[in-house]
Amino acid sequence: MIWHQFLSLAGSYPLALRGLGMTVVLSLISLVLGTLLGFGLGILRTGGNRLISIIIGAWVDLIRGTPFLVQIFLIFFILPEFGIELDAFTAGIRSVPTGQVEAALASGLSRWQRMRQVVLPQAMRIVLPPLVGQYVLLIKDSSVVSAIGLTDLTRVGWLVVQRVPNGLLVFFLVGVGYFIVCYPLIMLARRLERRIGAAHGEVQL
Amino acid sequence: MTKTGMIDFRGVNKWFGALNVLKDITLSVEPREVVVVCGPSGSGKSTLIRCVNGLETIKDGNLIVDGQRVGDPATNMTSLRTEIGFVFQSFNLYPHKTALENVTLAPIHVRKIPRAEAEKAGRELLAKVGLADKVNAYPAQLSGGQQQRVAIARCLGMRPKIMLFDEPTSALDPEMISEVLDVMVAVAEEGMTMMVVTHEMGFARKVAQRVVFMDAGAIVESGTPDEFFSHPRTDRSRAFLSKILRH
Repeated sequence: MIWHQFLSLAGSYPLALRGLGMTVVLSLISLVLGTLLGFGLGILRTGGNRLISIIIGAWVDLIRGTPFLVQIFLIFFILPEFGIELDAFTAGIRSVPTGQVEAALASGLSRWQRMRQVVLPQAMRIVLPPLVGQYVLLIKDSSVVSAIGLTDLTRVGWLVVQRVPNGLLVFFLVGVGYFIVCYPLIMLARRLERRIGAAHGEVQL
Repeated sequence: MTKTGMIDFRGVNKWFGALNVLKDITLSVEPREVVVVCGPSGSGKSTLIRCVNGLETIKDGNLIVDGQRVGDPATNMTSLRTEIGFVFQSFNLYPHKTALENVTLAPIHVRKIPRAEAEKAGRELLAKVGLADKVNAYPAQLSGGQQQRVAIARCLGMRPKIMLFDEPTSALDPEMISEVLDVMVAVAEEGMTMMVVTHEMGFARKVAQRVVFMDAGAIVESGTPDEFFSHPRTDRSRAFLSKILRH
């Protein structure tokens, strides 16, 4: 019985691969866009203009205060993510001690040079581990796009289970699919955290 | 028009909220002069020197540095700052850069000196402050005294006209103070214009032309180190000196 279902499942592997591909592509797009936007707006938010900082802060609160599934229906997929990553970047930039900025200021570095040479390299050390952890969440959360009809890995699960009525087996395999994508990132986050724990002045990006 | 010094405070006032942290400061520092600023904590001495390179803004009065008015919209503060070295109490070295990179960062990016040339000059400066063997060390691998010497070399790398020191030895273990003071004496003897916030009287006696004593935001007394330490004129300076001399 199980064996029979398993064979039938094996037959639907092209569909599963397509779903996995969709999950990875969607995650990648929102990861890259979310990071870039979060990075840019994080810099803007700490830039000293009060109005801009308030508007961006309100955006972050809005994103945090509404369910992901609701946001998906409203604005698809990309916009919510950078709200979260934006906060990580803001926190990272603010964690760099004032003395660092003053030292850079005193030696005549321009605003951009201060960011590029002094603030960001130090902020990245703080931001990177939680950011990679955030990427893992993002990949898992991408499953909600199945609700708007995109054929990602989770939706493939729903489609297949209609043919092979063994939900436990089907979604176990769906879980394995997500794990294969996420596990390398989990390992990366752990390595980055360990490196920052080792009190060394060096950072390699 | 009266003669202007390298650093010229004329009736400078500053408030933090209701607190008048700098009260009608008038003080002129001549080229090649070394002025030591001392006084009890909270007297405004750090604020005073932080105004010189615009880390603090002034409320009214004039502050002219190297012929340019600080805080004037017409003054390019970024370029004025390249002429002023600032040594912090807490060193503020860039932790993600080596000693040499700390020294060469501004020369390469601000002065646009070619990297090879900047690194050669940087190595020479680090050798001058006694750290030739620490060129590739990160700040976390250096002692406090070594970090502060790198910080001084970092300022010298810009070939500034003025050097400001904000309690450069206060965060150091006692056995490391003299190695930093020795470097400062060497810088002073080369003719650098310096304002130094410190209670190190040995340093003041050795190189300072003038000691300025501040209390509650005002300059209370000013004179040669010998006058000030041997014959303080006011009750407040006598009280202050008896406290720092007791230890």
